[in-house]
Amino acid sequence: MEIRALKIEALTVFYGKRCALQDISLEIQRGQVMALIGPNGAGKSTLIRAASGVLPIQSGKIRTNGDEFTSLAPMQRARCLAVVPQAVALPPAFTAWETVLMGRTPYLNFLGQTSDADEAIVRHALNRADALDFADRRVGELSGGEQQRVLLARALAQATPILLLDEPTAHLDMQYQVALMHTICQLAHEDHLAVMIAMHDLNLAARYADSVALLVQGRLEAVGNPNEVLTPERISSAYHLPVQVVQHPFQKAPLILPGE
Amino acid sequence: MSKRFLPYVINLGLLVAAVILSLAIGSVFIAPADLWEILRNWLTHRPLPAGLETYSFIISDIRLPRTVLVLLTGAALGGSGTAYQGLFRNPLADPYLIGVASGAGLGAVLAMSIRWPYSFWGLLAVPMSAFAAAMLTVLLVYIMARVGQTVPTTNLILSGVAFSAFATALTSYLIISSQGEVRRALGWLMGGASQSSWQTVLAILPYLVIGLGVLLMNGHALNLLQFGDDQAQQLGLPVMRTKTVLLLAASLATAAAVSFSGIIGFIGLIVPHVMRLWWGADYRRLLPLSIMAGGGFLILADILARSVMRPQELPVGIVTALAGAPFFLWVLRKSKNQGYW
Amino acid sequence: MFRKAIITLASLTLILAACAPKLPAATEITSGTETPATPVTYTDGLGRSIEMTGSAQRVVSLTPATTEILFAIGAGSQVVGRDTFSDYPAEASTVTDIGGSMGKYNTEAIVNLKPDLVVAGGINPPELVASLETLGLKVFFLSNPTTMDELYARIRIMGNLTGADSGAEKVVTSMDAKAKEVDAKLSGITDKPVVYYELDATPFTAGPGTFVDQLISRAGGTNFGAKMDSAWAQISLEQLLVADPAFIVLGDSAYGETASTVSARPGWDVLTAVKEQKIFPFDDNLVSRPGPRLVDGLEALARLIHPEAYK
Repeated sequence: MEIRALKIEALTVFYGKRCALQDISLEIQRGQVMALIGPNGAGKSTLIRAASGVLPIQSGKIRTNGDEFTSLAPMQRARCLAVVPQAVALPPAFTAWETVLMGRTPYLNFLGQTSDADEAIVRHALNRADALDFADRRVGELSGGEQQRVLLARALAQATPILLLDEPTAHLDMQYQVALMHTICQLAHEDHLAVMIAMHDLNLAARYADSVALLVQGRLEAVGNPNEVLTPERISSAYHLPVQVVQHPFQKAPLILPGE
Repeated sequence: MSKRFLPYVINLGLLVAAVILSLAIGSVFIAPADLWEILRNWLTHRPLPAGLETYSFIISDIRLPRTVLVLLTGAALGGSGTAYQGLFRNPLADPYLIGVASGAGLGAVLAMSIRWPYSFWGLLAVPMSAFAAAMLTVLLVYIMARVGQTVPTTNLILSGVAFSAFATALTSYLIISSQGEVRRALGWLMGGASQSSWQTVLAILPYLVIGLGVLLMNGHALNLLQFGDDQAQQLGLPVMRTKTVLLLAASLATAAAVSFSGIIGFIGLIVPHVMRLWWGADYRRLLPLSIMAGGGFLILADILARSVMRPQELPVGIVTALAGAPFFLWVLRKSKNQGYW
Repeated sequence: MFRKAIITLASLTLILAACAPKLPAATEITSGTETPATPVTYTDGLGRSIEMTGSAQRVVSLTPATTEILFAIGAGSQVVGRDTFSDYPAEASTVTDIGGSMGKYNTEAIVNLKPDLVVAGGINPPELVASLETLGLKVFFLSNPTTMDELYARIRIMGNLTGADSGAEKVVTSMDAKAKEVDAKLSGITDKPVVYYELDATPFTAGPGTFVDQLISRAGGTNFGAKMDSAWAQISLEQLLVADPAFIVLGDSAYGETASTVSARPGWDVLTAVKEQKIFPFDDNLVSRPGPRLVDGLEALARLIHPEAYK
């Protein structure tokens, strides 16, 4: 059963009486990076939560290659799809190593016994996420950026074909933002992962993503390659701010500048 | 000796030492030489010299069943306290958070207000009533806290607080308006192994084995739950089912322990913290260690309770708090483990 | 779902009971008297049959009232253990203390005394009786008497059990005589003033059916607490003001309550009894322990309420 893509079909999610997501349809192929952008409250985190099976769905389907995702048991889902959440309120007492080891859960027995192979995978994941240096330190002692890398490593240790990231660049310094996006792109293209990243930095999205999905107030306004989606009209109306879009001077990507 | 096994060896050693002390110390003074003689004769099945028969009886029929009962009670409290703290991600959680104690107290006092016949079932009325009321309270708290398909942690706590307050108030009212059962009710509520016989041990053993057994199998699950329901589910844990099973198992063990021993506080709250400070926050280790330490600490408290003011016997709940609090503060100060939680 | 839960709960509870304490059989203990005696069966306060062969020579008393009875009937030398609160008579304090505060008795000490009879009282719960019997002890439950006649019966049984039958009879006779003497002295009284007997400073008073209630009545008074619902009743100052008792008897004087502390209570100075300083400390043990001194309590109350009858 080879998973080739994550397909979200006509997804509708309600929070109580309020409609949080309406009729969202997306597809992310393996080897692709899709950036999920939109103002705060648009539903980016909600989409990630729903797609990972944590939120109940009103209507619509999530498929991984024909199989309906929500019909799978949590363990099976965790082998298909991993989430890198925001680094908030992490249990401070576990070390980075122990935290990443949790990512192996879908492949362990209920007692959580790990083998040498698991440990090797964890080491590899920490390395990829550039977090091996502080593997033995407690998560509570790490900075926001370091914690984010630990969470990325954990998702990598989960060894899934699909990876969802929720605002991973939010707390990072510039250099780490770029490094992270670079790593993610490498993972997608080299390891052949289907990646969806919720992010708020439009220029990073433009630079690194293969496709962009614009979410405004629970609706999918546009989806396609960055040039198509990141137009001044769309961005201005979505963010209630006049913007200009120019061609990046030395990269093949649009550059969004706020202001007239 | 691998470093992995060290905590278990130490905890086990402390437990064994506590058991031995508990058999050796009591309100009747038995000289160490006599103790040794008695133990030797037990092991070699030789008859005892006449003078030592009463002492031997005291050790085998009073101190031994009591020690075992106290051990089991402490183990139940230590284990379920750990589980509750992990489940609720709250360092203030203890086994009585969602109403086991207040429910059991109400059940016991209700049963005490009726004159049961002095018979097999009549003598069981109070513990059975306490047990049933405890589990019923947990059930009601759970049902009240449900929101659709989930049981949010905050709801559980709030629902538990509400039910506990209600049950406690009812219990107080019953005590005040009782016809002289005040002494008996307060004695029960303050805790203590007054009905410690082998039959009592047998009565609670199955519940403890099941309850603690289930908890021990869920150490990894508890680790995952520390990351929150979302992340735990995303990592592959069936969160709702796991939380329900953990709640039930912990409540089962606590209810059984409480129904014969009354409400003994502090152990369920503090033992897991001490274990965390000493041995770390991995629940796969924390659970068995807290179970052992809970038994050991309660035995030590019980020894103090029956020997510090002899021939009086203090309710063990008072000793656990009076002696336990300073001990815990000392451990906290000495610990270099910042962010141990 | 609720019904399933209840059924599961019920089954769980029944399983809990399945291996739980079984009723231990009352054991027969030979008493060690010289003449071989035939076993006699007594029925105790829990309805059980207690078989005694000969009289009990090593008795442990779990309540102060029982201790007083045993010493009064002349069986004091047979008492080898008593509870902490047994403070009367003075000789009782030399007997081994076996605990009893907060309801917790020192079972090790009791067993170590090798008693042939343990006498439990109304304040001891059935669990305690069962746990003592599990240890092979013979326990006689002396339930609380509610009338003087019931008290006399209990004194007689204590005499039977310890072989002090004649001593018991003497005690009963003298108690009865003293009570009748009080009745005689009070035969001419014309009124029964309201008496407020304070058990505790909260305030709590003794309700209907208690010995305090009966003794006050027999001593020529009307118990203020008689209209309460329970034996141990919390009252309000308002009710007290309405009833305006003629006497305030401080059964809680052992806890530090005196005439001055009562007078100082806010709002109490309006009461007649406070204005006339008819506030009297009282030894509560004389009226709350169901034992031989109950008639002393009766007389003390009578002298207090109707001093004119004792001139």
